[in-house]
Amino acid sequence: MPDSSLLLSITTFAYLLCAIFYLSGVVFRVDRMLLAGTFTGLGTLALQTVGLLLRWKESYQLGYGHAPLSNLYESLVFAAWSIMLIYIILEFRSKQRVLGIFPSLFAFLAMSYASYSDQIDSKIQPLVPALKSNWLIAHVVTCFLGYAAFAISFGISIMYLIKKNQTSQATARGPAALLPDLKQLDAFNYQMIFFGFLWLSLGIITGSVWANSAWGTYWSWDPKETWSLITWLIYAALLHARTIKGWRGNRVAWLSVLGFGCVLFTYFGVNFLLSGLHSYAVK
Amino acid sequence: MPQRVGLWQSLYQSLASLKLSVFIFLALAAASVLGTLLPQGITEHELHQNFSPTAVWWIEKLGLHDLYRTGWFRSLLLLLCLNLIVCTLERFPKTLTLLRYREDHIDPQKLLKFAHHKELTSRLPWDDIQERITRTVSKEFGPVRRFDAQGSYSAIAEKGRWSLLMVYVVHFSVLIVLSGALVGSIFGFKGFMNISEGQASDQVMLTEEDQTVHLPFQIRCDNFEASFYETGAPKEFRSDLTIIEGGKESLKRTIRVNDPLTYGGVTFYQSSYGSSVRRAEVEFRDLDSGKTYQLTLPYREPVEIPGTKDRVQAMQFQQNMAQFGPALGLVLFREGLEPSGSWILVDMPQFHGNRIQNYQIKVNAVEQSEYTGLQVKRDPGVWLVWLGFVAMLTGIGLTFYSSHRKLWIWSEPTPEGKSSGKVILAGRTNKNSLAFEQDFAQLCEQLHDELNPDKKRK
Repeated sequence: MPDSSLLLSITTFAYLLCAIFYLSGVVFRVDRMLLAGTFTGLGTLALQTVGLLLRWKESYQLGYGHAPLSNLYESLVFAAWSIMLIYIILEFRSKQRVLGIFPSLFAFLAMSYASYSDQIDSKIQPLVPALKSNWLIAHVVTCFLGYAAFAISFGISIMYLIKKNQTSQATARGPAALLPDLKQLDAFNYQMIFFGFLWLSLGIITGSVWANSAWGTYWSWDPKETWSLITWLIYAALLHARTIKGWRGNRVAWLSVLGFGCVLFTYFGVNFLLSGLHSYAVK
Repeated sequence: MPQRVGLWQSLYQSLASLKLSVFIFLALAAASVLGTLLPQGITEHELHQNFSPTAVWWIEKLGLHDLYRTGWFRSLLLLLCLNLIVCTLERFPKTLTLLRYREDHIDPQKLLKFAHHKELTSRLPWDDIQERITRTVSKEFGPVRRFDAQGSYSAIAEKGRWSLLMVYVVHFSVLIVLSGALVGSIFGFKGFMNISEGQASDQVMLTEEDQTVHLPFQIRCDNFEASFYETGAPKEFRSDLTIIEGGKESLKRTIRVNDPLTYGGVTFYQSSYGSSVRRAEVEFRDLDSGKTYQLTLPYREPVEIPGTKDRVQAMQFQQNMAQFGPALGLVLFREGLEPSGSWILVDMPQFHGNRIQNYQIKVNAVEQSEYTGLQVKRDPGVWLVWLGFVAMLTGIGLTFYSSHRKLWIWSEPTPEGKSSGKVILAGRTNKNSLAFEQDFAQLCEQLHDELNPDKKRK
């Protein structure tokens, strides 16, 4: 029986392969490459799911017994998994394989950062008292589904801005020609952002209810909390800006880029640069 | 006073504007960023240590070290509430009118101008056409409401009208959450208490102000335990607590991190622990008279040395003072003199500094006890906050998974006879028009097949 770390190592490389397929599919305009990207992505997602479940089981064998969502390593692996899961569903519904470049790249980056950074310990560790709660799974899963949707939306926004730039220069040839048209990109972007907003709201709320049962305060302006609120505010601004005349499109795409910057800062920046209640997420 | 009315009106208009909402969101975000860059609740001393006088002046002026409680940050929140209320007052009546409005007339020329529209023809008898349209649309889309006029078929089918109301649910939920927070901050309190094992207390030190709250009951810590994993990482902190009300033990419970105790509307959370000195056994030898005194000093309570007017008090304790081991800080009060004190090293009785005035001092024993640190809270507004959360999630979730979709159908028999007719379909949605486009196309195809049974599309 293979162990989880082997499966997760294979996952890292498989996502790289997947990203290469998607990227070359777009660059060389080969539909089959894109199809190969989809199949690699789907297969890797299945493999990673098995890896995650095995890790869960192994933590029970070690006597700790907790879901693989307790530290930076495990959260990065889960982030990669969420991004690919949501992306595959989006691809299935939208029939747009081109959108796969960024999600597969993000999944690979998250996995390789988790596996190869010196700062990150991949060992299964016991849970500290603060994390021993059923809210752990609800809070982490909801937050990361939100982050994942925002990561995909970031990719779509970048595509939107590239496409917009090319269209306005009237050079609609080259790889960008394969991209869906601007109206479609904007619609996908909106869907992803709304989906992410729903999960981020759930994530903040579950975190808040958890904090209330652990520390007696549902909101304490801890840096992590505050940054998740900042992210929420940026996306709330985006959703409202979209209904203002003339804001749809470019400005929404830029706000989405800004929003994803906030997501990254909430996830990494707060851990490394600011101190607070989420200190266990550093290693 | 027409000018004043104009001023109010323009103020009202700007409060109702979406651009103001976006501005408030971004301003709140920017302000929150500032608050995370500077540690909140930092003391004045630390401020002066880390920043230049000019920077400190600005930080204190803007309240950046306690940003989320400053007037200007709260004004922003208040502005958000005003914006929400005015937007609702402005738009809600229009939405209600829209919801109540029932069309009773369709102009086929207008339908042709819709972004989503389709013209179909059929060679079936007129009665059959009408029957088939109603059947197909009811099956594929939703209930059909007919209001035929002048020999034509006019109908509307609608789905998800209520989804237009969801945005108000979300907006209202924000107000509920904020009002819950307000209720909590006015009628509740937040504080902590440190209780030594075996001791009972009813005093809560407030976190945000220098004040004590007396609980109507006492809480006793029977036992505190911390356990650790083999790696040294903490595994569990637990306190066995007893509530004493009116002199009687009324409840015994064990609390852990993530597992608090609520009694009489007050909740106790396991938050920290530590150890403190209870009493010390100390030997005083008067170097002048050669007399020795054995004293028991309760921590921080003065005790008289028998036969003298000197009083002595154990003021402080350090587990390891400058690598010399544990040390007890004693102070001697003698009439007519300033109090004098010294650190007495517990493990080094020969140390020359173990002296105050004419006394040579030896610490025989220091009795310590563990205390549990409890976070204490009373928050009568928390239910409003939870209610707001539920409303917010319901609102956002239903807004995401539903949309208002409306279909207009108009049909007329062709002039030459009652055995054929033309149909115009038009549709509109408030969001996700790409998905609607697909569904609309599919519906049109279905209806086409239904109306032209002899030449089905491949």
